[in-house]
Parts: sequence; structure tokens; C-alpha cells
Amino acid sequence: MSESGSKAARVIEIEVLRYRPGTDAEPVWQSFRVPFLDDTSVLEGLQAIKDDLDGSLSFRWSCRMAICGSCGMMIDGVPRLACHTFLREFFPGKVRVAPLDHMPIERDLVVSAEDFVHKLEGITPYLVPREARTVEQGEYLQTPRQLEQFRQFAGCINCMLCYAACPQYGLDPEFIGPGLMALIHRYNADSRDGARAERMELINAEQGVWSCTAVGYCSVVCPKHVDPANAVNQNKVNGALDWVKRRAGLKGGGT
Amino acid sequence: MLETFKADVAIVGAGGAGLRAAIAAAEIDPGLTVALVSKVYPMRSHTVAAEGGSAGVVQAHDSLQQHFDDTVTGGDWLCEQDVVDYFVSQCTPEMVRLEHWGCPWSRKEDGHVNVRAFGGMKIERTWFAADKTGFHILHTLFQTSIRYPSIRRFDEHFVVDLVVDEGRCRGVVALDIATGRFVLIEAGAVVIATGGAGRVFRENTNGGIVTGDGMALAYRHGVPLRDMEFMQYHPTCMPGTGLLFTEACRGEGGILTNREGYRYLQDYGLGPADPWPRKKAMELGPRDRLSQAFWHEDRKGRTVQTPHGSAVNLDLRHLGEKKLRERLPLICELAQEFLGIDPADAPIPVRPAVHYTMGGILVDGRTASPLPGLYAAGECSSVGIHGANRLGSNSLAELSVFGRVAGEEAARCARTTPRVDTATLTRQAENAVARVRELVVRSDGRERLSTVRKEMAQSMENGCGIYRTGPEMQATCDKLAELRERYRGVKLDDTSTAWNTEWLNAVELGYQLEVAQAIAHSALAREESRGAHQRIDGFAQRDDVRFLKHTLARYGGAQAPGIGYGDVKITRSPPGTRAYGAAGEHAEAAAGAAK
Amino acid sequence: MAGWWRRNPYFVWYMVREVTAVAVAVYTLVLLAGVVCLASGEAAWNGWLSAMRSPVSIAIHAALLVGMVSHAWSWFDIMPKTMPLLFVGGRPVAASAITRAGLAAAVVAAAALFALAWALRP
Repeated sequence: MSESGSKAARVIEIEVLRYRPGTDAEPVWQSFRVPFLDDTSVLEGLQAIKDDLDGSLSFRWSCRMAICGSCGMMIDGVPRLACHTFLREFFPGKVRVAPLDHMPIERDLVVSAEDFVHKLEGITPYLVPREARTVEQGEYLQTPRQLEQFRQFAGCINCMLCYAACPQYGLDPEFIGPGLMALIHRYNADSRDGARAERMELINAEQGVWSCTAVGYCSVVCPKHVDPANAVNQNKVNGALDWVKRRAGLKGGGT
Repeated sequence: MLETFKADVAIVGAGGAGLRAAIAAAEIDPGLTVALVSKVYPMRSHTVAAEGGSAGVVQAHDSLQQHFDDTVTGGDWLCEQDVVDYFVSQCTPEMVRLEHWGCPWSRKEDGHVNVRAFGGMKIERTWFAADKTGFHILHTLFQTSIRYPSIRRFDEHFVVDLVVDEGRCRGVVALDIATGRFVLIEAGAVVIATGGAGRVFRENTNGGIVTGDGMALAYRHGVPLRDMEFMQYHPTCMPGTGLLFTEACRGEGGILTNREGYRYLQDYGLGPADPWPRKKAMELGPRDRLSQAFWHEDRKGRTVQTPHGSAVNLDLRHLGEKKLRERLPLICELAQEFLGIDPADAPIPVRPAVHYTMGGILVDGRTASPLPGLYAAGECSSVGIHGANRLGSNSLAELSVFGRVAGEEAARCARTTPRVDTATLTRQAENAVARVRELVVRSDGRERLSTVRKEMAQSMENGCGIYRTGPEMQATCDKLAELRERYRGVKLDDTSTAWNTEWLNAVELGYQLEVAQAIAHSALAREESRGAHQRIDGFAQRDDVRFLKHTLARYGGAQAPGIGYGDVKITRSPPGTRAYGAAGEHAEAAAGAAK
Repeated sequence: MAGWWRRNPYFVWYMVREVTAVAVAVYTLVLLAGVVCLASGEAAWNGWLSAMRSPVSIAIHAALLVGMVSHAWSWFDIMPKTMPLLFVGGRPVAASAITRAGLAAAVVAAAALFALAWALRP
């Protein structure tokens, strides 16, 4: 950050891919000029456009602090959170903002999250306790080390950047995809959970880990360091072992 | 054009309280259809941004009585004490339930859940999941809710009105944001769980969606908003954006210093500075006191200057890199990404920003509002546990405890309420739709939406800030009346129906202006200082004779709200001196000796 | 999605990594051919040896070496993504440490093999 740069407002060009159903036959680029400071995010740039230049620009946003997962978009071709990306990075050039790749555009920068949410509902995304316990009996015990086995995978904010980053998802939308594979692994790796066998079937299915070709870009764009590529590729080993066990007539799905 | 969906229970808002209510309703009777309506996908709800933790007594040397005392004292005796009793008794079971559902609470080496210290709490009783507690609670609840087939979600549906017939709340009218179509959701009971209203202020920690929608919905139908003047300023926020640096920073041992490196809180009745850390003293004092101390320090010219206003230093360096990464990872990220500061190397500049709406929709201890069939839980409600100042980590506990109560009560109510004729409700709903559509089709009007919104936010900051005076509050009241008038002349750029977020923002601004009025008028009428409501125009003291009362703001249509008062339920803790630091320790020792 | 891999430098490197697997396969075939020749008698074996000494063969081997080295590097680069978390002394091991350890092991193994071949040379 330069001393002089932090105070004076400069002006940057933001190009936004617009699509208004009923008005635009196909997405079109529209350019805006927006003043910014060193700490102005791309999201704040878009808000300035909406407030002062064109109220019809639509995009999702809420928390402004990279935890609600609303404002994922392609920023200069890279899937990023708009609240977490700063305009200074692109100046004196312009910055191009487009909706996330691989998902249908509903309007401007808003994509349909339906496929993601629908898949989420189908992966048993909750704890199925290994053993029943009443509230009166207190909490399940779990050591910090057991927690560490799944902690990072529980950090997914469902921003879907990894889906926009995954060429395999782009080629075959049936693929469960990186973020949700990480969520499956999050529960499978939880010492309290007992539904691993059920989820292993999803992992081993055509749309499971075997759709992944280990490009690894999902983990690069993940804003929360969840490392979904790790969850997927670990489970290739688990999936293969599980398959062998089943073939050998052993009880599959165990650890 | 108007679709109808028949539900048994309709829940507005799918944050922590709404999800917890939906699960409770689904568990109590799987045969009931629960409509869970939210203007965002559940995991975007603002519960996600809560950082520090959630209260629940677990340690052997702690007790429900002590949690009660901390809460009532912290609330400056404006709490409903019978409700606080119920609340503290239910916190721990609710936290355990979240654990059973998978919430990744931070643990001790022996595998038990760990607890940390928090401001205004005498003993460590704050359960935490690193510094992303709200995030983990929200995702746990959302993912758990998927188990229940009777919960039918209406994601990205925005509620524009309640339908009320024969004196009962009978459902809601919602806009499907993606298509612009409306749906009438009929229900035997409605739960409002829409969160706070912090966005009516300029500098705040809240997400863009925190616009007081549910408060305004209930308020317009005659339900009073209670204690709205009590807005919590969180003392440690990022200058400019207002983003939050959790109280857990101080719970873990962080300190606040002024430009001279001096721990200034010792000058404001919170000292002595050492030994540190020490519960209910210095940096672990309550939020209202810390924000007020900042204001004085700023007046004395002892703050540091940033491009976004004055600040003090939140110094975490002595905690060391390892502890920071383990206990406060989100804080490290925020400081690094937004300010370019590594908290292990340099202090973080912080200043107070609006954080939490203590007041809300008037409900009893079982979350029922005076309007039959209408319930409310979480930040949008005033169930009576926060009083004039909420303690950190009581709000996540609140949404768990009272979210469950609301779900159970609404389910019971829905089972016993006979249904009415759909045609009557449809007519009402169509009127609501027409009112909302008018905003888009309006041909006259020259007012720009963002101008009205920004003037409102600035005016609230000017008049209803950390310290308040009569003339300044009056100016804000006048300004809000003017803005409500000008709001009727707002002209939108966007006249489309699909994903018209400008339209949404316009409806939200309508809600915000009315809630802002309730705040400002409630504040102006309270001629004393208590908790988060501090006056420096001759009413600097607490006045229990005149104002040991709840403020009730009633909707006045196009006019200003009517302000009335309600009694405070005192069971066993009579109002006393609210002291922290050494003074607090003396007071507690004296009280202990007296028993 | 046609030509998707040209859109982003990251994807180009991914394609390079995948293509270098061909180098591994080709070199395996070359060695396999050597084994077959060895089994087929002295003339075949000598023919294979002289083919190996031709300038074309040396050029191909140089190209294969580059491919093999880059494949080894990229293989260890993604290795941390394919395994469960490792703990040493209660702390998780960093991905970069796993990559470095893998690369070091590869270098040591290659050096040992080279030393062995050198020691046994006729």
C-alpha cells in the first residue's frame, strides 16, 4: 500500500457481464467507471454502480467478510469472492466481472444454485450418530486430534467457487463436485458418525470421485482453504479399498 | 398470478432461530407441513457471521445462578427475570443437542467441549468452534434440517406481508425473487425469525440482509416493538467497513490500548489493569462500557487516526502465532486480507460499530406475540433476556433455546387452530401484492433509493449513537419523518420482475425506515441512561423510579410511532449498582457476605 | 467447453502434467523392448544396444528425461492432495513438507540407482 495511494480516490473501469431475461438475447458486457480507495473491494465497486449509476445491476451479497458465500463470481476469469478481492489489484487496468462459470445465469451476476443445493440434500449431509446418546448423557467425546481429521472440510461456506473452477463439472454436471465431496468426507471422517457405508456408495458411483481427474484447481480457488481436491482424492483410495473389500466378500464401508 | 401453498407452520427467516424452530416443529409432529421461507439460502443467513461463541454453564464451579446474575446485571436490570431463568437452564442442553447434530465445538485434550471467557461473564462458559461459531451452528442446523421431509423450504423468497384474519395471523405473502411471482403461504401459526436491524445505521457489523424485515411486518400489524432504543455498539470493529473482530480476541487475552500504548479502560471504572486476564474487568467488561470508553478517549484526542476515522489498538501480539492461528483463524484472515496486518506482528486498529438490536418484536417467555398465531424468536424478538445491553455469547444461545420454543409452540398452535376460508386470505394477499408492485410500476417520483437509505443511516448514527442528546435525537426523528415522505417518491431504475434486487431493496428500505423510527422515538422518550442508551443532556443517571420499564413502540401509520411502557418482571434480583473491575469485585464480595 | 484447458494457465500446466505421463509410458515400452530383445538372443540384444546409441535415440531419451523429471515433480506436487492428514507430534504436516519429502526420496532413489549402475558397469 503506498502512502499517497491510500487516501486519494482513483477511478477504475469495471466491465460487468449483463444478462436481463426478456431484454438481452445473450449476455453483453457493460462498462462502468467507479472511484475507489486502496481498501475498496470489487463488491463495494458493484454496490457503487448499483447505488449511483445503474440500479438494475443484480448480484448476491451479504456478510462482506467472506463467510456467507453469496458473492462468488468470475473476476478477470478467476472464480473469487467479490468481497474478498480488491480493486487496487487491477488498477490501472480494468477489471472484468462475470457470473460463475458452469452454472446457468439467472440474471446479471446471479447464477442458479439449484443444482448444488439439490445435490447437497442428497448426500446425507448430517451426522448419523454411531451410537445413540441422550442430551442428559452429555456430549460425545472427541479429542482435538479427532476433530482435526475433519475440521478443515467442515469449513466449506458453499460459495461454489470450486464448481466454477472444476472443468470436469463443466463437462459433466452430473459430477457431485468438489465442495460436496468435501462435505461427504467431512462427515465420514467425523469420529462420531456412523453412516460412512451409505455415503461410500455415492463416493464410488460414476458421479462420485471417479469423475475427478485431479486437476486440483478447486483447492487453488477455495477462499477458506478447505482443499476439496484432497477430500476427493483421498476418497479415491477409500473408494478403491471399499470396492476390493466388497468384492472379497468382506463387509464394505468400514474404516 | 397468486399461487397458494397450504402449510401448518410458516417460519420467516432461515438463520439459526428459524432453522431451530423448523426442526423443533418437525420433531414435535412429523405430520405437520413446515414452510421455511427465507430471502436467502439458509447458509447465507447472518448467523453465519457470529464469531465468538455461545453460552452454556458446564464447569463445576459455575452455576445457573451466576449465568443469571451476569445476564441481569449486564442488561442493567431491564431483563424479564423469569425468562432469563428459563433461558440459562436451557442453554447447555441446547448446546449439547447441537453437538449431537455434529457441531464441531472446540475440545479439550480429554475430548470434552472447551469453554472460553467472554465479556461480562464471571466464569468461562462460552462454547466455541474456533472463531466461526455462528458459521458452524448455522451449517449444522441447515444440514440437520435436511433430515426432516416435512420441512418445505422456500429459498430466496422474500416476505412482503403477513395475512391476518379475525384477529389471528394466518400466513404470509412471499415474492419468489428469481421469477417475480408471489405466493400466499397459509399457515395455522407463523414464526418470525428474521434477525436484527443493524443496517439502519451507517457503520455496522451486519450483513446487507439485516434490514429488520420481520420487525416491521409484525409492527405494521399492531404488535409493539419493545426496547428498540437499545442498540449494541460492539467495541472492536474494522474502521470503515465495520467488520467484526470477535470479543473472543479479548477472551483469549487481547488488550486495548490508545495512541500512547496505554490500557485506557482503567480510567473508566474497569481497572485496575493487572492481573490480566481477569473476568468482568478491563477488556472483559461489557460491550456498552467499552464502546463508551472509546468515545471518551476519542474526545480526549488519545486515539489513532485511520483513513476511516479514529481507532484504538486491539493488541494480540503477546498471544503468539500458534494460539492465534488455532483459536482466532478468522480474525487473522480478516486482518491480513482487509488491512494487510498480521496480528502476530502488529496491533489491529478498531472502533465501535453497531452490532446488535437488543429490542424487537414483543413476545412472552414462550415466544408468543400479542397477535394470536404469531411467534418470534432470535434477534428480531424481544423475549426479555438482553435488557439494556446483551452479553456476548447470549445471542447464539438465545436463538437455539427460543428457536426451539417457538417451533414447538407454533406447532401446538397450528394443530388446534381451525382454518379459515382461503378466499378471504387471497383477497388480502392480493392487496399486499398490489402495494408492493406499485413500487416498480410507479411512473412519477424522482428520489433515488440509495440517497434515502444513506441519509437514514447517517441520521441514525448522528442521533442514536453511543452517546445521545435530546436535540440530536429530535433531529433524527424529524429527518426520518421527512425520509418516509420522500420514500414515497422513490423511482427505481429497474422495472423488471426476475431478480429485481433494486425492488427488494426498496421494500427493505420501507421496513428500515419504520424500524428506525421506532428506535429513534423510543430513545428520545427514555430520559435516563441505562446500558446501551446513554444520554449526556442531563439524564446521565439511571432512573429506576421513572424508567425501570420496557419501552413499547406502536405503529402509527404514516405518523410517528406511539410510545408506551410496560412493566419489567423482577423475581429475585432487585436493581443494584452495575459495577465492573475492582468495584464489581467489591460489590460481589459484599453481596456474598450479606447472603 | 471446447478448448477449456487453454482458458487458464493452471489448466495448461495440468495438461502438461497429464501429457508427461506419455513420456513415462514410452520409456517403459523402450525398456520392455530391451527385455524382449535380451530374451531373444545375443544378436537381438546387440541390435537394441546399438539402436540405443544412435543420435535419434539419444535425442528421444533427452526429451523423455525432461518429461520424466517434470512428471515426477508434478506427481509429488499433488501427492499431499491424495492422502489423509499426517500428524507428527500431534501437529498436522504441511503439504509443502510432504512434497519436499517425496522429491527428496525420488532424488535419493535415482542417485542410488545411478551409483549402483556405475559400480556394476562392465
